[in-house]
Amino acid sequence: MMVPHTVRIAALVLGTTAFYGYVGQLVPQKEVQPPQEILIRADLTTADMVTVGRTIMDTKGLCFTCHTIGKSGVLRFPDLDGVDARAGTRVPGLNDIEYFAQSIYAPEAYIVPGFNPGMPVINKPPIGLTDQEILCVIAYLQSLGGTPTVTLQTTHRYLAAAPGAAPAPAAAPAAGAAPAGTVAPGAAPAAGAAPGGTPAPAAAPAPGATPAPAATPAPGAAPAGAQPPAPPGRGAQLSPGVSTPDATVAEDGGLRGFVGAVAILRPVVSHQVEARLEGAVAR
Amino acid sequence: MNRRLLPLVGLVAVLVMFAGVVWTASMLMRTEYKEPYGSSSATADNTPRVQGLAAEKADAETRDRDKPYAEVEYRAFPVVGSRVAIWAVAQLHLLFAAFVLAVPIFAIIIELIGYLTKDPRYDRLAHEFSKLLSVSFSLTATFGACLTFMLIILYPKFTNYLMSVFSPTFLPYVLLFFAEAFFLYTYYYGWGKFHPLVHLGLGLGLNVVGTSIMMIANAWVTFMMSPAGVSSKGALISVADAIDNYTWMPINIHRFIANIAFGGSIAAAYAAFKFLGAETDEERAHYDWMGYIGNFVAISAFLPLPFAGYYLAKEIYAYSQTLGLTMMGGAFSWLFIIQAILIGSLFLAANYYLWLGMGRVEGAQPFQKFVKYLLAAVALCFMVWATPRSIIATVSEVRAMGGPVHPILGFLGVMSAKNTAVNILILTTFMSFLLYQRTGKIATVAWAKTGYVVQLGIFAVAAFIVIFLGVYGYFVEASVRIGLSVPQVSAVLVAMVAITAIDVFLFRKPKMTGEVRWGKIPAISQYVLIFIAVTFTWLMGLMGYVRSGLRQHWHVYGIIRDTSPDAFTPTLGFATQVVSVTVLAFFALVGFVFWITSLHDRPAFVAQKKEVRVPLLGADVPEAERAS
Repeated sequence: MMVPHTVRIAALVLGTTAFYGYVGQLVPQKEVQPPQEILIRADLTTADMVTVGRTIMDTKGLCFTCHTIGKSGVLRFPDLDGVDARAGTRVPGLNDIEYFAQSIYAPEAYIVPGFNPGMPVINKPPIGLTDQEILCVIAYLQSLGGTPTVTLQTTHRYLAAAPGAAPAPAAAPAAGAAPAGTVAPGAAPAAGAAPGGTPAPAAAPAPGATPAPAATPAPGAAPAGAQPPAPPGRGAQLSPGVSTPDATVAEDGGLRGFVGAVAILRPVVSHQVEARLEGAVAR
Repeated sequence: MNRRLLPLVGLVAVLVMFAGVVWTASMLMRTEYKEPYGSSSATADNTPRVQGLAAEKADAETRDRDKPYAEVEYRAFPVVGSRVAIWAVAQLHLLFAAFVLAVPIFAIIIELIGYLTKDPRYDRLAHEFSKLLSVSFSLTATFGACLTFMLIILYPKFTNYLMSVFSPTFLPYVLLFFAEAFFLYTYYYGWGKFHPLVHLGLGLGLNVVGTSIMMIANAWVTFMMSPAGVSSKGALISVADAIDNYTWMPINIHRFIANIAFGGSIAAAYAAFKFLGAETDEERAHYDWMGYIGNFVAISAFLPLPFAGYYLAKEIYAYSQTLGLTMMGGAFSWLFIIQAILIGSLFLAANYYLWLGMGRVEGAQPFQKFVKYLLAAVALCFMVWATPRSIIATVSEVRAMGGPVHPILGFLGVMSAKNTAVNILILTTFMSFLLYQRTGKIATVAWAKTGYVVQLGIFAVAAFIVIFLGVYGYFVEASVRIGLSVPQVSAVLVAMVAITAIDVFLFRKPKMTGEVRWGKIPAISQYVLIFIAVTFTWLMGLMGYVRSGLRQHWHVYGIIRDTSPDAFTPTLGFATQVVSVTVLAFFALVGFVFWITSLHDRPAFVAQKKEVRVPLLGADVPEAERAS
């Protein structure tokens, strides 16, 4: 039987389209969710901040779209392995915290030799990390080749310059204080924090602090007085109105401790494929 | 009863029934609810329940009167959701728009060739292409209107923002659309009615207006991806800057070239459709030639398209490294493997069509022996291009490899290898085309041998540069490696231009060893043309998705965030399903366009009826109609 050519053409169009549609099903399937707004609790310890910072870099910060850890060879952007060991000496006059802050708030100010400029300003859209989130990121970066010292009360020049933030007047550094990184009075020194720092008076929340009922003070603000007494639980807290399908946190820490802090950071990228399919194409 | 009165009786019956329905409805509306014991309405009104109901009603009326206007941010589309609905309609609009913009470009070029060479075949061919325009233009406008209304209904706040930023561009856009309609219909219906130069002028006007329309629409689209001319909060600072954003000109160039390639492929598919249904050798010859020209246009535009793609990608990176890396190394990286399969299929099909086409020329045997080498080169480059950096493997396989990157094949998954593969692929296809062009001809110029050697030398040098830089890219820093694609591309472009220039002089007055037997080509070649058209369309759908999806959860990147339920970026599997459905819908409509266009060649209705009526009615049919 002779099949009419119109039927053959229709079959060809259908077959070709189906084939390409099928190819689309063979590749790894990722559904990328928009990042959730995160409110960092004021009582995160430095150790907690390290883990939260890592999660932020993985998700909302999109850091690992460009940067790698422990990769050698020909790279597009600097590898972050052991970065803290280099950070304190890269730019004269900047210690590691100030250097990291500069890299995040004003990335064009210094370009690592051998690389092209291209890093976006991280506290502005489209990434738009808050000041607290950036401090967590700095804590994680310090853990790469160094000892994390940053706390949520640490200030640096980009925070001091932030409009609306009360400037932290200089004070005599305490003995053994990290050269940069100022700690507000009344702030309980976090574990692993530098033993001291420039005391700053209580400050109004800086821009970037999420306006939540139990608003977390900006770095530099004194948690005591500005905040209710710190609950025993520590962790990050989603701002009101943001649904948390996989975790519910009361203001006083429904999920307690570090587990709560991390669990509540809803994964931005949900991998729908099996573990064996994971891995993106590096191009 | 007189049957002639039946319609009148029917009409009266309908009127009576209508009056009956109206009367019954009115009666029911007037009838009030009565208490079972027949209490008066005055008594009933005093009950607390009735008073409460009246108070509630009054409150509701007061609330409604005082209700402030609130702008709706999003509305939902049933079943598939707002995003998929907009996606499909926008894609259909774009596909038809691309076709309507492309056909006049090559129609005017073919018409100009016909005018300059005084060969009427070209004029007829250009006319045949332009037959597809009018119905396609109507469909483009229909989908455009549909898209506009759907944007206003489903995304009112965002649409309002775009309109506020680009308000000065909308009136010119509408006026240009009128001008487009004027030029298009005058160009088509005025064929053969004006002096050729006047007609060519109309065609030129059509192209200028069409391209201008595209550039205005591109400003809106590219602003969403790489906004400029607005503050960080979205307030308008400069409309000119908003239009001339980072990706506007690259998209203009890329779409201009891609439209030609796409339009050529659809026109070739039309020729294939007609070829397969042709009943005479003359028809087959004509549509074989038409298909060849359409495909020639498509492939000629397709070859420089990757270079326009490089330019676009470069500007995306220049605007935002994050955006660029999301595209090439992040969520969309696997999409480019699908793209490689599509483009590889296109190259394979285009080459296959050329190789089949050699068969229609007498004396093709000396060239056909090269086909196997060309096929090997195309297949090899295809495989390299489609090799991902990370292999999809089982856990045990990943363990055995020491990671998701294959120890050997992993080297082929990086940009250096892919750039090399695509450039060699372009060179190979160009060589196929060159061989096809030479089939049945022998150069007679005195320097013919030298010419061949020089051409071969240029090929070899270009291939060497491409491969050398590809390998060199593995050993240098990223900042250097990124720049290597420019000399690679330049080497290929220079080689193509130089070899073509030499070829023109080399075959100025050739000795013909055999003539082209149009229509003498296997039918499978026509299915190849249709396959190319479907692949082009699918590719456009896929790349449209990546261009738009790249913004992820932003309507306007970094300025207006998408807070709708559709703010997430779907899986590639889902995206390809939407693309497939849209492509099928497009080809169903293209089939309609082809059918409408083919009606043009059918005998007139009167002539068809005449064959039945002539014996009955005798000699009242004109002689000419009877003959037809």
